[in-house]
Amino acid sequence: MVTATPLTPLEEQLLELAGSVPDPELPVLTLRELGVVRAVRAHGTDRVEVDLTPTYTGCPAVEVMSLDIERVLREHGVREVTVRTVLAPAWSTDDITDEGRRKLREFGIAPPRTGAASGPVRVELGPTRTGEGGAADGTREPVRCPHCGSAETELLSRFSSTACKALRRCLACREPFDHFKEL
Amino acid sequence: MTTTPAADTVTTAAALALGDDALVLSHRLGEWAGHAPVLEEEVALANIALDLLGQARVLLSMAGDEDELAFLREERAFRNLQLVEQPNGDFAHTIARQLYFSVYQHLLYDRLAAGDGPFAPLAGKAVKEAAYHRDHAEQWTLRLGDGTDESHARMQRAVDALWRFTGEMFQPVEGIDGIDWPGLESAWREAVEDVLGRATLTVPDGPRSGAWKAGAGRQGLHTEPFGRMLAEMQHLHRSHPGATW
Amino acid sequence: MATAAARDTAGSPTAYDAPAGPGDTDAFQRAFDAAVAAEERIEPRDWMPDAYRATLVRQIAQHAHSEIIGMQPEANWITRAPSLRRKAILMAKVQDEAGHGLYLYSAAETLGVSREELLDKLHAGRQKYSSIFNYPTLTWADVGAIGWLVDGAAITNQVPLCRCSYGPYARAMVRICKEESFHQRQGYELLLALSKGTPEQHAMAQDAVDRWWWPSLMMFGPPDDASQHSAQSMAWKIKRHSNDELRQRFVDICVPQAESLGLTLPDPDLKWNEERGHHDFGAIDWSEFWDVLKGNGPCNDQRLSRRRTAHEEGAWVREAAAAHAAKHSNDTTGATRA
Repeated sequence: MVTATPLTPLEEQLLELAGSVPDPELPVLTLRELGVVRAVRAHGTDRVEVDLTPTYTGCPAVEVMSLDIERVLREHGVREVTVRTVLAPAWSTDDITDEGRRKLREFGIAPPRTGAASGPVRVELGPTRTGEGGAADGTREPVRCPHCGSAETELLSRFSSTACKALRRCLACREPFDHFKEL
Repeated sequence: MTTTPAADTVTTAAALALGDDALVLSHRLGEWAGHAPVLEEEVALANIALDLLGQARVLLSMAGDEDELAFLREERAFRNLQLVEQPNGDFAHTIARQLYFSVYQHLLYDRLAAGDGPFAPLAGKAVKEAAYHRDHAEQWTLRLGDGTDESHARMQRAVDALWRFTGEMFQPVEGIDGIDWPGLESAWREAVEDVLGRATLTVPDGPRSGAWKAGAGRQGLHTEPFGRMLAEMQHLHRSHPGATW
Repeated sequence: MATAAARDTAGSPTAYDAPAGPGDTDAFQRAFDAAVAAEERIEPRDWMPDAYRATLVRQIAQHAHSEIIGMQPEANWITRAPSLRRKAILMAKVQDEAGHGLYLYSAAETLGVSREELLDKLHAGRQKYSSIFNYPTLTWADVGAIGWLVDGAAITNQVPLCRCSYGPYARAMVRICKEESFHQRQGYELLLALSKGTPEQHAMAQDAVDRWWWPSLMMFGPPDDASQHSAQSMAWKIKRHSNDELRQRFVDICVPQAESLGLTLPDPDLKWNEERGHHDFGAIDWSEFWDVLKGNGPCNDQRLSRRRTAHEEGAWVREAAAAHAAKHSNDTTGATRA
């Protein structure tokens, strides 16, 4: 999170509250764990501004997140809440906290690897299913199966349900699973 | 009611140009929903369409109210490239359009993100998505170009047919500053020719602009299918003036 | 997974060893029955009775088919969505459905079938999809009604499946349910905006609910006494609650939601029954249910034709991809893009 001045105790509290809102699409994570709450500014106790950054540009959950944040803060006595969407600095999967990664794994989604590369790695083409070397091509650590932990997993589809995920399959235990793509 | 936005700032005009590109292409991709050739592509095309729509919303909001602009302008007020409004055709046609546009968008956003103009924040975000779109288009160009005789023929037809719309992309846009347009065009040609070559496709050699019908989308001169597309897109919104959804 | 490992170390049979004869099969069957009774998960590599496997394949496949057919009534409104925000929400929903289909086909494949086989059965009419999608989306409000009612019913049906005995399916259900809850909320909000909007919008919303209510109740299947497959599915813990139980649960959830929406449900017999602690509701027209199931619904033909046509027209694309893969199976990868 980027702030120019240190937070007041009130702002700390409000940040905590805003951050505790569960992500509307992946409720296993909170907004804080997702890394999308960028700043909180309180003007007295009555007026609060929150800066939110979208994960994907097309993410339809941003408005819902804003409404949820507004509601939570109003329930705690803040009269006027404004949630702003900020685009820069751009959100990256590196902003997901370690706790968030752990929760994703527990939920059955392979978390994004850290040190997010700036886009797709060239892969061998299959019929429509592409193989993606993990440790094999030496460029990245493998995506591990969240069910059995095996590093032997293959990419079934670069896009899956919700913009952030790819679909993979474990070659050891056969489990299909979603992978939160690095961005 | 129709509105023509007061393009009193050049940034507004540029925002419309970029925003309309994304809006219109997103709409075309949305037309594939429910009948893509394979399930993975249902997901991929929907995802790309959604990314583009997100970009469009940010860009149009820089120029005014996003819904007023999308639903209440007439054809002549839209500033998108003629390339993106072309009908989907078969899957090869869609991929060729994707190839030409996404390489352009990736290169352009990369440059915009590196600057500090008004589009830098959006470009910094969207360039990562554009990289995925470009990769998707390139992979399919390779599969279709170097697949079967039929897919090769369809892909060649598609790249040939859409070639004439590619010149427009490199006409300077007022309000987008700090871009070396000829440099952008060289980079685009190099990238596209490389993919086409690897796909065993012939690089088309016809004209890429000239005569207003193939290069004047930015001036609000569009092709006939565009009007029909807008009619469908705008109809429900216009049927309930002033309503919120 | 721990289950299989535990059975391995205990020396009990796994799928790695196939039954050598009838006596052997008994041991496998007993181990299977014990696992199911103990609420343990059956995993892809475990031995399972052929009938259990076949039932699961059919159920998971039909669930996957429902996701992809279900894209059609909603895709019908993408190009006409009346605001960019609603368009984005709808596109995301349709993407999710395709993604869920992909996921479920992959789960079915853990049972030893291929997606191609399953699609062939769908196209030939030998496997079905949820009959609710044989109804048309006639107005924009229908998109909201589908989110609120159809997704709501689907979630009511699916939550118990999170405890299904077959591991991959149960785990798929947990994740799919969470994503569908988001869609259901969006559908509700779409209707709320219409209900509180102009008189025309309110009427549009009410009309949609009037048309989608009864078919949504039918989504839970025939009444318990007329349901064929239920008993065995319950024994195998594939099915966890009866049709009537789930239908009642759904009605009880929807009544207060309808009130919050400011919309009425088209059932004059709907009323709270203090004794039962549930809402009484009117008689369902089961003849309509069986008729639509048989193929005589408003959109049966259209849905399946569109699917078949998309598949046929896409054949050259799939063949190209396969041909490309075959030509380049020995290639090393190209340069990594930074």
